[in-house]
Amino acid sequence: MSLRHIFAVVRKEIQHILRDRSTFVLVLLAPTAMMLLMAYALTVDIQHVPIAVLDYDRSPTSRNFVQQITAGDDLDLYAQVSSLEEIETLLMRGEIKVALILAPGFARDIRSLRGMPLQIIIDGTEPQSGAFAVEHVGWRAEEFLNQALSAQMGALGVTQGISQPIDLRVRAWYNPSLKPRVDMIPGLISMVLGFPALSVALTLAHEREHGTLEQLMATPITRAELLLGKMIPYILVGLVNVIIIPLLAMLLFRIPFNGNFIVFFLLSAVFLFAILGMGLIIGVFMKTQPAALALSFLLIFFPGFFMTGIFFPIASMPEVMRMEALALPGTHYAIITRGVFLTGVGLEVLWPYGVMLAGLGVIFLAIAGLFFRKRLG
Amino acid sequence: MGDSQSEELIPTVNSNEQIIIETQGLTREFNETLAVDSLDLSIRRGELFGLVGPDGAGKTTTLRLLTGLLKITSGSGSLAGFDLATQPEEIKRHIGYMAQEFSLYSELTVLENLRFFSELFDVAAEDFALRSEHLLEFAALSPFRNRRADHLSGGMQKMLALASTLIHEHEILILDEPTTGVDPISRREFWDILAELYDNRTTVIVSTPYMDEADRCSRVGLMYEGRMVVCDSPEAIRDQLEGEVVHVRPDDWQAARVVLGELPGILETQSYGESIHLLVDSAEVRIPEIELALKENGVGIKEIRPAPARMEEAFISLIRGLAAHEDAPEKP
Repeated sequence: MSLRHIFAVVRKEIQHILRDRSTFVLVLLAPTAMMLLMAYALTVDIQHVPIAVLDYDRSPTSRNFVQQITAGDDLDLYAQVSSLEEIETLLMRGEIKVALILAPGFARDIRSLRGMPLQIIIDGTEPQSGAFAVEHVGWRAEEFLNQALSAQMGALGVTQGISQPIDLRVRAWYNPSLKPRVDMIPGLISMVLGFPALSVALTLAHEREHGTLEQLMATPITRAELLLGKMIPYILVGLVNVIIIPLLAMLLFRIPFNGNFIVFFLLSAVFLFAILGMGLIIGVFMKTQPAALALSFLLIFFPGFFMTGIFFPIASMPEVMRMEALALPGTHYAIITRGVFLTGVGLEVLWPYGVMLAGLGVIFLAIAGLFFRKRLG
Repeated sequence: MGDSQSEELIPTVNSNEQIIIETQGLTREFNETLAVDSLDLSIRRGELFGLVGPDGAGKTTTLRLLTGLLKITSGSGSLAGFDLATQPEEIKRHIGYMAQEFSLYSELTVLENLRFFSELFDVAAEDFALRSEHLLEFAALSPFRNRRADHLSGGMQKMLALASTLIHEHEILILDEPTTGVDPISRREFWDILAELYDNRTTVIVSTPYMDEADRCSRVGLMYEGRMVVCDSPEAIRDQLEGEVVHVRPDDWQAARVVLGELPGILETQSYGESIHLLVDSAEVRIPEIELALKENGVGIKEIRPAPARMEEAFISLIRGLAAHEDAPEKP
């Protein structure tokens, strides 16, 4: 293993990254841009869902209830209607996502503690707004019932020995407001660091397409020297991103950074080693850049998105997928980033994930080296 | 001819160790197509060996087999004493190889490209300083040392590719169509440099589709459909041409070809721009006949004269002979 050979490739590759505009954009700007885009687009808080109300009761209590439900920023009263047909028209036109139907006797039933005759109709084609509205209405209704109950008890002279009928207190640790953004953004970092891996796959395919690889194969450089020389520069640019992205996350999205930055930096380097190993495998097998690009999306970005636990908990996946998730560097890195950002844990907790990543990196690099031939055809 | 005599003397004067590249029945198949078919080749140290032939003849495949870049399907061969099949990495240390589409790193400057290849070939830093200066001078690239490779002209890129190949010391230089797509003046300069290398006793193997370049080699191998059709000195190959060449420049090229096609004693007609080269059994006898026939058919003659046979005529004639031979048995 000649350090001089490796260094020659590293320097050449860095010159390429800095001077070739498209590569520069891909490895140094795309991760940040993608991060901002995804963070804004994927983590929008649902607000101002338009609803229609069909109030058959028309009592002060029912009016009071509607007013309470639509008081915040969450649900907006779009229309008071007087028939089911009107609701259907509004839903079909997409003007409302949710309709509430207050049955006749709404006030009477509450007063006699029989419950709340309330129906919610949601637009099933957009279940997210619907689910949000159901949750929100349920929560407000519970509050309303509790108030009504206390009022009843008070009127009966009972003030002691009765508490709220439902008293469930949920407290989300490490993310007190349960904002999705807070837990998504550290996870998204592992996604956007897929770009250096994509670039390393593209650069190998590019050299093959361009004929420079044939020239390299006719030199005494060994396979290991060439692959390491290709990998190191992209680890370095990846680490530049590892510095920029947490800063953005903290400044723009107010994500806490509770852990130790050095730990994060070190584990990120190990993650880059593993994901770049995947990139090299793709570059070794794919002969053209479009093919390398397509396979990168299939092996790095799509699984990175859906299988690493950023969006869907790994525990709820079928067993085969869980096994696959273990082989994805992003799975381990998502745990590391959440741990460092939110929980604030250090190496004492995260070291197994670092070891897993290092192991995956070695395996990937070995596969790339095994199948990379210094021969044509 | 003095040259061909000395060619024949070399093997008797020098022993077999002077053979630096040798192949026996070298064969390479691609999907059951024989790209290179049982090639027997023997190249002596210090030769400037030209590999010529039309596109698809197997020149590039042959050179890639010699560099160890392609696996041999069958047959055997050695280069500088190393086995082509089992010692490709040793071979790579002993050759300078310039691929057909030698691509430089377009974002790197002239000097950076040279340094990159010098490092991969373990050229010492002091040696690099000397060699790069010399090569830049040699390739007339000194004023452009800090220019990016993609901002060089095509000819300069080829020169830089050659310089990158020459940056390390090697016994054998293998160049795959180094002048394809280069303007005539750059081609001439390139060959002047090769001739100088040849004088320095480096063994050079160069493939080219240009027959005029074959004339500058010490020995030429003509490949056609994967096989070596002829392998000899340019003089000897020219001598193989039966008949003599007549150069005709008519005023109506189309009409002239029709007339000439029916004349006796004409073995072949080859087109050269506005002119026609005729291969005839005897120039002395046929020139008056040709003049008469053209005049009778109302075709004016701007020029008619006997012409020296060139490699080009010789090769085209050889290949046509082969093609006709091959077609014949297929006809029912």
